[in-house]
Amino acid sequence: NPIYDKKATTTSQLKISCLNMNRGPCTGKTEIYMLCDKVQKDDIEILFRRGSWKANGEFAQSDVHRQIAIVFKTPPYQEQDITEEKEVSVVLRRISDQMESEPVNFTYLPHNPDPYEVKRK
Amino acid sequence: NPIYDSKSPNASNLKISRMDKTCGSVLGGDEIFLLCDKVQKDDIEIRFYEEDDEGGWEAFGDFSPTDVHKQYAIVFKTPPYHSTEIERPVTVFLQLKRKKAGDSSDPKQFTYIPQVQDKEEVLRKKQK
Repeated sequence: NPIYDKKATTTSQLKISCLNMNRGPCTGKTEIYMLCDKVQKDDIEILFRRGSWKANGEFAQSDVHRQIAIVFKTPPYQEQDITEEKEVSVVLRRISDQMESEPVNFTYLPHNPDPYEVKRK
Repeated sequence: NPIYDSKSPNASNLKISRMDKTCGSVLGGDEIFLLCDKVQKDDIEIRFYEEDDEGGWEAFGDFSPTDVHKQYAIVFKTPPYHSTEIERPVTVFLQLKRKKAGDSSDPKQFTYIPQVQDKEEVLRKKQK
């Protein structure tokens, strides 16, 4: 069995504690504050996923605060003409070993939500 | 001269790095994510204040020790402003402050926004 150093950020478990917001427009660019367990600023990515679609949250190394928080921008959703809310998963992923955290949910909101209220009728 | 252990969290300088919001309702209760330099979860407070000739005003952000994340972030709720009847935005200051030592960080600005439902009345009053 391999022995892991649980305190080393190169092998430790990744965990998202919370996001300050879990909804945003499908156009992306929403600024999100994520609190997490220790990460390495040069070895971490934030992945948005739903089905076969995936995209990365956008941030610079300077947006990683003391290893325990990341300020990033949401990527645009794959479709811009959605008429319903779309729930996607967000995970932290270590680039070097591709280890992932448990997912948290994020909801993309339609750009133009049901303008004629067809759904409600 | 006193000698400080600069690596100890209760002697190091307090600093607010960034906040996810810098404005909120005059009624308070807005949740804010604040990123900071090292703090002790049971010896830190977030002081909102205003200084004027008549003694000024202060109030404290609402959070518990469990809202302090890994010593470097705090999730808290804003206190209400002393008057909820403001007609236009009011900018105040907030700072991190250690309860025991009493030292504090450089201030950041925070703007209280009037209640939305007052808008029409404010307009009406302005027209007079």
